[in-house]
Amino acid sequence: MEGDTLLDRIRRSRSLKLFLLLGPGLIFLAIFFFAPFIISLMMSLGMLDKEVYTWYLTFEVTLRYYIRFFTNPGTVRAIILSFYYASVTTIGTLLLSYPMAYYMAFKMDRRMKTTAVFIIFLPFWVNFILRVYAMRFILHEAGPLQQSLISIGLLSQPISILGTDIAVIITMIYSYLIFMLLPIFGVVEKINKEYIEAAYTLGAPPMKTFLKITLPLSKPGIIAGSLLVFIPALGEFIIPILVGGGRAYTIGRLIYDNFIRISGILGWAMGSAAAMIYIGLILISTYLYFKFVGREITLI
Amino acid sequence: MSLVDKILKILFWSIVTLIYLPIIVMILFSFNSSRSKLVFTGFTLENYISLINNVNVWESFINSIWTAGVVVIVSLALGILMAFAVVRYRPRGSTLLDSLIMVPIIIPEIVEAVTLVIFLIIVGFKLSPLTIIIGHIAFDAPLAYLVLKARFQGWNREYEEAAMTLGADEITTFLKITVPLMMPAIMAAAFLTFIWSYDDFIKTFFTRPTGFETLPVYIWNRVARGRLELDINALSTIIVVISFIFTYLRMKLVKE
Repeated sequence: MEGDTLLDRIRRSRSLKLFLLLGPGLIFLAIFFFAPFIISLMMSLGMLDKEVYTWYLTFEVTLRYYIRFFTNPGTVRAIILSFYYASVTTIGTLLLSYPMAYYMAFKMDRRMKTTAVFIIFLPFWVNFILRVYAMRFILHEAGPLQQSLISIGLLSQPISILGTDIAVIITMIYSYLIFMLLPIFGVVEKINKEYIEAAYTLGAPPMKTFLKITLPLSKPGIIAGSLLVFIPALGEFIIPILVGGGRAYTIGRLIYDNFIRISGILGWAMGSAAAMIYIGLILISTYLYFKFVGREITLI
Repeated sequence: MSLVDKILKILFWSIVTLIYLPIIVMILFSFNSSRSKLVFTGFTLENYISLINNVNVWESFINSIWTAGVVVIVSLALGILMAFAVVRYRPRGSTLLDSLIMVPIIIPEIVEAVTLVIFLIIVGFKLSPLTIIIGHIAFDAPLAYLVLKARFQGWNREYEEAAMTLGADEITTFLKITVPLMMPAIMAAAFLTFIWSYDDFIKTFFTRPTGFETLPVYIWNRVARGRLELDINALSTIIVVISFIFTYLRMKLVKE
């Protein structure tokens, strides 16, 4: 059309508008998120190799990095240990946050609820590493907590917790608590109190009401919280390094070490393989979780 | 009050106390003058003085601020465009689009960091502050999108239609009507993305060039070897106080 400016054309075409609006963001994510993921997957399958300075693609897919991973007792132990830490953390945070959320939702008035959320949220604005660092003062055998427990006679001698599994688990529960508490609170708070009163009116004892009404209705919060805790907890490396010592060797540390200590193709390929295995473990455990735990809660 | 209620109350407040305990002890020890670090012997401000005189702390703080600033601007720009497109034009397959944009938020950060570094190495991109910024945007743009989309969905089109009826073109309407209407949502997204980027450790640590430290990386490099450093306690105390003031002010603002 005569005198048709670019602007006019954009104004008329819906798909051009959509492209201009969505394009920049999607292209950015494609290049700096999705492409790296695919490249890493290829790297872990040995599909990328290097000749002096240039990378080239080979189509000889190999599982040697994965085999290396699963035949090494050290790395297998890291997987098991990560699962152990993540599961205990998930269960621990659940056991602590459910009563907390219940108390907040049912026993507090509106103003008190806002204040409680504020008080609980506050420490979590402090940098993650600093919160973990702060735990060193609490767990340390010469630290103020243990020393004061000894001086008032609650503890007979200092216990060296730092550098053990218990230290890692305590710190992980401490650090992840809020990711369990907030989703559960969000769901429990919205439970219609009339259902519970109806159960009481019909003569159900408190425990039965809780198990038949309140708990099943809390399920979405419990599921969301468990995933929010379990997924990052499985790959945690900051806490094991800072309070766990050398024995607390997790998948996260494995990925970290392959990058920091072993550079070059072997480190990158092993690091990629570890990252892909981590993603695989998340997918498998989420699937199993929904298949078994998800169903069991409905059965209660 | 029944027995169960009492137990719940005690449990709730004990856990809250336990959440605060490590931070309180850390703050207390920032004033400790003892060489042994774990035994409180006397009050001093020495740790604060040595912190304030530490050039590396200031440098890493400035690095954190300016990288986060750039990240926020780009992430908001990308997020606003995408959220606007989805809410206004409802393109086909927007559920798929939503899940695609969500993936970077769900995937664990360490995996994102590692895959990005491998990609950068293979493509021949040298690590620089720019690579940190790129890594952050890959998370923050989806985050901004999520926050903005949720807020945009409820708003009403009449103001824009009125402007157009009165003869404003689409771009003028967007800048004069839509953007001002979006402002509260944009501020919320800016706050969230800034905090995330400023506080991020994992992605920054992997994508940074050697020698370039943001505040979280500086802290990590000081404490990772397992020592206790009381000037880090002083730094934490300052961070705690600032975060508390900010959270409090934000809550006040939200209430109003």
